[in-house]
Amino acid sequence: FIILPPDMHFHMIIVAVFWFGFVDSRKIRGISSSYKRFFRERKSFLCIDGSKIIPFEQVNDDYCDCEDGSDEPGTSACPQGRFYCTNLGFRPHYIPSSRVNDGICDCCDASDEYNSHAHCQNACWNLGQRERAYVEGQMRTLDEGLQLKQQLIEEGVLLWREKQAQLRELQQVAEDLQTKLEERRSRKQEADRLKEQTPRPPEAGDGQNSTVTGTFKLLDSNKDGSITVDEVQAKVALVHDEERVLSEDEAVALLGGDHQMDLTTFQHTLWDILTNGGRVKVSALSNTFLFVFLSDLREKLAIDYGPDWEFLFLNSQCYKLKVYEYTYTLCPFNQVTQQSTAGTEVSLGRWGMWEGPPKNQYGRMVYENGEPCWQGGSRSTTVTLTCGTETALRSVKEPSKCQYIMDFQTPVACQPVLKQRGIHSEL
Amino acid sequence: MGGVKRSIIKMATFTGSMAPVLVLWLAMSLSGTWAVDKGNFKTCDQSAFCKRQRALKPGDSPYRALLETMELTNTRLTLQLINDNNKVRLLLELYRLQGNMTRVKINELKPLKPRFEVPDVLITEPSTEPLSLLSQDENGVVLSLGTESQRVIISARPFRLDIMEGPEVLMSLNSRGLLAFEHLRMRKDTFSYKVTSTVASKEEEEKVDGMWEETFKSHSDSKPNGPSAISLDFSLPGVEHVYGIPEHADTLRLKTTDNGDPYRLYNLDVFQYELYNPMALYGAVPVMLAHKAQRTTGIFWLNAAETWVDISSNTAGKTVFGKMLDYVQGSSETPQTDVRWISESGIIDVFIMLGPTPKDVFSQYASLTGTQSFPPLAAVGYHQCRWNYNDQEDVASVDAGFDEHDIPYDYIWLDIEHTDGKRYFTWDSHKFASPKEMLQALEDKKRKMVAIVDPHIKVDSNYKIHNEIRNKGFYIKNKDGGDYEGWCWPGSAGYPDFTRPDMRAWWASMFAYDQYEGTAENLYTWNDMNEPSVFNGPEVTMHKDAVHGAWEHRDVHNLYGLYVQMATAEGQIQRSGGVERPFVLTRAFFAGSQRYGAVWTGDNAAEWDHLKVSIPMCLSLGLVGISFCGADVGGFFKSPSTELLVRWYQTGAYQPFFRAHAHLDTPRREPWLFGPENTALIRDVVRQRYTLLPYWYQQFYHAYRTGEPIMRPLWVEYPQDPATFALDDEFLIGKDLLVHPVTEEGARGVTAYLPGKDQVWFDVHTFQKHNGAQSLYIPVTMSSIPVFQRGGSIIPRKMRVRRSSSCMTHDPYTLYVALNLQRTAEGELYIDDGHTFNYEKKEFIHRRLSFAKNMLSSVNLATDAEFSTGSWIERIVILGASKPSKVTLKTADGQESQLEFDFDASMSVLTLRKPGVNAGLDWNVMLQ
Repeated sequence: FIILPPDMHFHMIIVAVFWFGFVDSRKIRGISSSYKRFFRERKSFLCIDGSKIIPFEQVNDDYCDCEDGSDEPGTSACPQGRFYCTNLGFRPHYIPSSRVNDGICDCCDASDEYNSHAHCQNACWNLGQRERAYVEGQMRTLDEGLQLKQQLIEEGVLLWREKQAQLRELQQVAEDLQTKLEERRSRKQEADRLKEQTPRPPEAGDGQNSTVTGTFKLLDSNKDGSITVDEVQAKVALVHDEERVLSEDEAVALLGGDHQMDLTTFQHTLWDILTNGGRVKVSALSNTFLFVFLSDLREKLAIDYGPDWEFLFLNSQCYKLKVYEYTYTLCPFNQVTQQSTAGTEVSLGRWGMWEGPPKNQYGRMVYENGEPCWQGGSRSTTVTLTCGTETALRSVKEPSKCQYIMDFQTPVACQPVLKQRGIHSEL
Repeated sequence: MGGVKRSIIKMATFTGSMAPVLVLWLAMSLSGTWAVDKGNFKTCDQSAFCKRQRALKPGDSPYRALLETMELTNTRLTLQLINDNNKVRLLLELYRLQGNMTRVKINELKPLKPRFEVPDVLITEPSTEPLSLLSQDENGVVLSLGTESQRVIISARPFRLDIMEGPEVLMSLNSRGLLAFEHLRMRKDTFSYKVTSTVASKEEEEKVDGMWEETFKSHSDSKPNGPSAISLDFSLPGVEHVYGIPEHADTLRLKTTDNGDPYRLYNLDVFQYELYNPMALYGAVPVMLAHKAQRTTGIFWLNAAETWVDISSNTAGKTVFGKMLDYVQGSSETPQTDVRWISESGIIDVFIMLGPTPKDVFSQYASLTGTQSFPPLAAVGYHQCRWNYNDQEDVASVDAGFDEHDIPYDYIWLDIEHTDGKRYFTWDSHKFASPKEMLQALEDKKRKMVAIVDPHIKVDSNYKIHNEIRNKGFYIKNKDGGDYEGWCWPGSAGYPDFTRPDMRAWWASMFAYDQYEGTAENLYTWNDMNEPSVFNGPEVTMHKDAVHGAWEHRDVHNLYGLYVQMATAEGQIQRSGGVERPFVLTRAFFAGSQRYGAVWTGDNAAEWDHLKVSIPMCLSLGLVGISFCGADVGGFFKSPSTELLVRWYQTGAYQPFFRAHAHLDTPRREPWLFGPENTALIRDVVRQRYTLLPYWYQQFYHAYRTGEPIMRPLWVEYPQDPATFALDDEFLIGKDLLVHPVTEEGARGVTAYLPGKDQVWFDVHTFQKHNGAQSLYIPVTMSSIPVFQRGGSIIPRKMRVRRSSSCMTHDPYTLYVALNLQRTAEGELYIDDGHTFNYEKKEFIHRRLSFAKNMLSSVNLATDAEFSTGSWIERIVILGASKPSKVTLKTADGQESQLEFDFDASMSVLTLRKPGVNAGLDWNVMLQ
């Protein structure tokens, strides 16, 4: 016998009203109608597993005779037994026999406490009401969520194409630059060989306006039309030291001493410096940056954004939640951080992988290799995605030290399958 | 929870920039060897008084009894002793105590100032019996110790005491001349020294290090009173086995200490303690039991200062062959164990418990220090703890997890993080915003909670508890008279002076529901860190020159933890108006701590050896009265393998205090996190615990009445069987259940010794019968827990395991009657309300169940007691039975009825169906 937890979802949705007609005059306590046939009153009772025959008076006589517990569906006598809560108006379910008459109300119809000091009220109708309202709410959310998801999928596809185009462009620019650099190098070598004076600055490449915008957009994560220190820090790194985030000073320096920069300024200053710098050194540096953008973009496009690129829009977004004294930030496909009110920021992990169960592969994400922990190991975060009409971080917990779990709600986690299952489990 | 985490402390001291923290962290992780830092704790050589005393070798004692000073009254003998080297006189007092005990007290005759005598440990001034003088001459005195041919011989030169029974010497004191008494004196470099130096003996003038000041690591001990150590030796002829003097992570049978340090008794917070060594741990009970086949005796050294115990034996190191050779050649000297106690201050006050049986020693010791407090029934259930359950939601979800997986539990625990910044008696206002609601939710499931309250109080002028303690002057003082401050969990902390009765009364009043906000009746308390733990103190504890009123911390150190638990338990009793039984867990303890609650073995580790050592550690505590003992199931530090965790549950379920606990840094390990198979294994064993709760509860009642240990070594029940004397991988619960837990990784079988010639034992799972006095190999799988019921016993169980023990209150009993070879059996059934002190008002049921001549009957053992129960007898299972033709139940009103039964011929198990009689009534069942 399996003891079914009360929320097992494979119960049929049978509105309890149907039950009414079946209720026998001689009640056998604790059984469902599908088991009634075993309990038809005769002289004797055959244990359901067939192991033993007992006089019918010994059914529900508060002594366990059958190995399988089937003779005591309505008492607490059998260790493996289960009691059926009819729960008219709500959802019927089984509880372990050990919860019959234990002084705690388990069935909402109070049927489990027929001989105890507990004063249980029939709460099924209210529960049912609440449940139905909840399920309706869930259904609405799901419908709405699925619609939103469709939009996001469409946007995702566009975004994907755009990114692919950008990638191609950047690749082109990179190649051009590479060629130029090589040219310059060979020229320099030649010059050196000829012992001529210092090399002249490289000429500006042709037709680069589109890549200017492309690069700007790439840097401008939040798409507000200006690049900030944060954005530079997030996107720009040195090729020979990709792991290191640029310091604020370095980023400010790149922004020409300011904290932000619009496209026009960008084109005439930073871009200029990056590509048309007066000195070889700077020019080489700019090349370096570009390769980082490139590898960054390649890396990002290599991520699995779901079958319809529906998760793509989450890239470059960040979601915050304040829990007690900490603010948590989830930047999907990038990283998770925790900032204390005192201001120190700690990494709770970098994007690792999808780790959902086989049936719901995109139901869970893992972020790994965050800041190291005291007893070894490093911080990591598991993000569970749930269906909702908004995209937001709903909860953060740290059940074990350095192991965080987040509940992240988004329409793209809504699944039509879920819709069907939802009805069964929630009613 | 608990231990000192040095790295955290250091971190905490850097409140500034992040950089040093990171550097430190790296340093820690690189040097992360996993073990106690022994250098943090003193060896005997590093403890000046121990070194001085141990330098003294056996030989002629300089002490002489001045027989002419002898005074003998009806109740006591007094006699002066003189040290012939320095002419300092001591006063010996000798008492004959009721119940076959002798008390010997030795103090300075005229100390410069009073020396500390331990208060509050003895439950009353022990009753004396008359002593009478048998003979006297210039060599000594012979006194009679009452009626049983017992005598004390006091020899004058050198002074020694021999306790005899008939021709047999039971115990000798100072027979090796190691009595030492460092008398209080003026410091030599003072004026008074110059005055008295002319008469000072040569020995005294010798400069001995550490007499007036001592430094350990960076800590210095100012020792304003100078040297004050005491020492005495005891010889135990015929004894090869000594036990007790917890707390040490060592074998049950104490080892000789000739080649290493003595066993140390000094309550210390030892971070990541190591096993099988004599180092001091969290608690100290200065009681040793000595056992030989014919007799068990005990020595209770009532001294709360740092103490070291040396053990040597004339047979130690001899091989079995060597011993046999001695025997054959007749050249054997009598085996003998010699013990020597050394304490840093106070007086010699020793109780010699003369047995002769182990149970006599338990009752003798109980008559001095009291018995195990009778806990609420729920506390005998399963406890779920972790450092930390993070917030109310976490508590609710763990609680729900137990229901979802149908595993019973009674208490969920909150460690230090539940407080507002480690301010005890408070709640974190975010994480535990509505503690009363949380407690009510647990109450709705008939479950309870324990929250930690440690004795270090955050120094914070916005903290009520601190302000009150400071304003009332209740803090322990430092040597300069200011409030003593040390570093602990909250940062800088003060330590209330629990040795003060007024402080304890105030502390107790803080547990009132209107003082300790957010609490309710189902909230209980855990006292941790009460050694006391002081992170930046010498040996992670308090400076010995800190001041408790008239006394130094040196004098009272080992008592501190006892007082903390005493005051806390008193607080819990008071908050209910004296109605409800308290439940308080403590880490530090002393002789007498059994009166206040439970003890656990501190911050152990998730290692197989730690699982193994939990058995001798709790056995040793049980022998000295502290029955309510357990170890952190799963191990506190580190993370257990699934196999270790399951085996630990299986072991812990059969130990008195059953609590799982885990360090903050370890991954979660609630029972259902290791796959369905392991969840089932853990569920099964927790359920076994709950079915046996009636038996456990009865054992607690018995321990409360008699002082006998609940979890006991086999030799206690089989004192004449030498094969049991050193066993510590198996144990008895009461006298009827024998448990041999599986404590080896990958074990396929265990070999259990089943004691008792002409005894039989029944496997409680299969009902298979085994003969006693044999080593039995038992094949095991992951679900096996070898447990045997003694033939001749009756064990009551409740087979309807529910969510918590309270849910099972009205459930019926199944009686397991295991017949011996004489086809008889005896047992008891104890029932009360499970939580109040009403049992003291005789509100309980106590019945004797006996089976003889084919009749099982229940008779009242306490006719003056009254209680009514709804519980009835559901089933009777008779092991080793034969098939009857008819079974008749006869109730008190004379009515007879036939019972149905079922007989399993393969295992000879007879099951009687549903007698249905009320468990509190007289009845009998006749097999025909």
